[in-house]
Amino acid sequence: MNPELKALYRDTLLKHSREPKNKSVLKDVDAYFELKNPLCGDLITLYLKVSQKMVSKATFEAQCCSICMASASMLTEQITQSDIEEGVDFADSLIESLLQPGISIATLENEDIQSLAGVKSFPSRIRCATLPWEAFKGAVSRLR
Amino acid sequence: MTDRPTPPPIPEALKKARDDFPILKREVNGKPLIYLDNAASTQKPQSVIDAITQYYAYENSNIHRGVHLLSTEATAAYENARTKLAAYLNANDESEIVFTRGATESINLVAHSFLAPLVSAGDEILISHMEHHANIVPWQLLCERTGAVLKVAPIFDNGDLDTDAYLSLMGPRTKLAAIVHVSNAIGTVNPIERIIEAAKDRGIHTLIDSAQSIQHMKLDVQALDCDFLVFSAHKMFMPTGIGGLYGKRAKLDSMRPYQGGGDMIAHVSFDGTTYKEPPYRFEAGTPHIAGGIGISAGIDYIESIGRDLIHDYETQLIDYAANRLKSTAGVRLIGEPSHRSGAISFVMDSAHAHDIGTILDTEGIAVRSGHHCCEPLMKRFGISATARASIALYNNHEDIDALVESLGRVHQLFG
Repeated sequence: MNPELKALYRDTLLKHSREPKNKSVLKDVDAYFELKNPLCGDLITLYLKVSQKMVSKATFEAQCCSICMASASMLTEQITQSDIEEGVDFADSLIESLLQPGISIATLENEDIQSLAGVKSFPSRIRCATLPWEAFKGAVSRLR
Repeated sequence: MTDRPTPPPIPEALKKARDDFPILKREVNGKPLIYLDNAASTQKPQSVIDAITQYYAYENSNIHRGVHLLSTEATAAYENARTKLAAYLNANDESEIVFTRGATESINLVAHSFLAPLVSAGDEILISHMEHHANIVPWQLLCERTGAVLKVAPIFDNGDLDTDAYLSLMGPRTKLAAIVHVSNAIGTVNPIERIIEAAKDRGIHTLIDSAQSIQHMKLDVQALDCDFLVFSAHKMFMPTGIGGLYGKRAKLDSMRPYQGGGDMIAHVSFDGTTYKEPPYRFEAGTPHIAGGIGISAGIDYIESIGRDLIHDYETQLIDYAANRLKSTAGVRLIGEPSHRSGAISFVMDSAHAHDIGTILDTEGIAVRSGHHCCEPLMKRFGISATARASIALYNNHEDIDALVESLGRVHQLFG
């Protein structure tokens, strides 16, 4: 297999996309946000429950590709039981490191999420990875 | 395992066609390019590229103004494209060909200049569930402005139009029946002859979106007797940024200008302005001259091979592709229309369309992944995206075989 392709579809990413964590509709949420990539039709809805500025539960529903699915799954694990603002900072750092060629994703302290680095060789797929994080930021903005 | 279907023989006239397209010699990701995204845009033969280069290098000038030689030559070359297009479509007169930026602009032009003055609140515009956004949104905008109602005829699960339902939706308030000839997303060929005839019987105007048929089959607008027909040049081996609207002269005569500016006027004064006759009334500003010259060369190219021959061969090739894909592990076709042209959409249970597209790209195979500007159609099939393989005259069974082989690897990775 092409080495860049191998780096894109790492086992960690494939595992998250095949068996995504927290993929369900959440009721009685404090915020939710639906986001679509109009270029390809990928659609994600992120649900948040919040308690004392901490994310107590995060789930998502999506019709999307493996990268978006894996990224959403990793996101829910990353932000659950963490401070909302820290979550937003993490989202900003991740989005920036995926979009900017010179910035490495390796500085983000989450090994699973580092497996998203492969999209940097596939410009048309970067948005697939960032979409869930943009949806998270959208949901947080509704809390404010 | 199903027996592999027999590949269609490549006609002599098409055997060397591949050599006419320089881009098909390039590599993508270290592999020879296999281009199966022709419904999005076709490649350009050397003769079209040369004609455009020749114009910019030796003939460049504005048209319909200036008495110098270059302008006279450029005007003749540009107008020659109109004459050739009129013959290509068997229009009654070359003034029935309006140059636009493409099929999308042509539909918008008809919406603004033809239909808008004819509709009032409660009037109806009829389309089908398989339309491209270009044949949905301009009508929605018109409905918003006028209070007219957009009626959508259903399709069957196999991707065929429910033609009886389409015809039964033609009512006393229907002002226009618009329909795609060939679906860009799933390849369905619609019975436009029957639709046009029924519309005429009821005094309903007709518009045919031929963006996906004009490069694959002969179209005769006089035999069809449609009021309007729209197309894009870049889907027929010609340049981007130009296309056309065929309109019956009587209809064009009844229409107000679409945009105002230079070249579309007979006389301008602050007391009032008069407009040129069609088609110039609808062509404000300096047009895409090089594009017109490219159209001219492109038509010569298609005719040098022969449209009947292209149609016969492509029909066999797309059937071969459908049969091969149908028996490929993990692949499910979206739409199995009884009459198909050009395109096949499919999904895989294990892999999303984008993942399919990315993996095929690393093997040099270009397909389209997404909703193909047909979101309502995708929703009808309960999906958000498909992978689509679409052919042109230079494709052959080896391209299809390579696609099928690569899909096997996609299935391995994700299955």
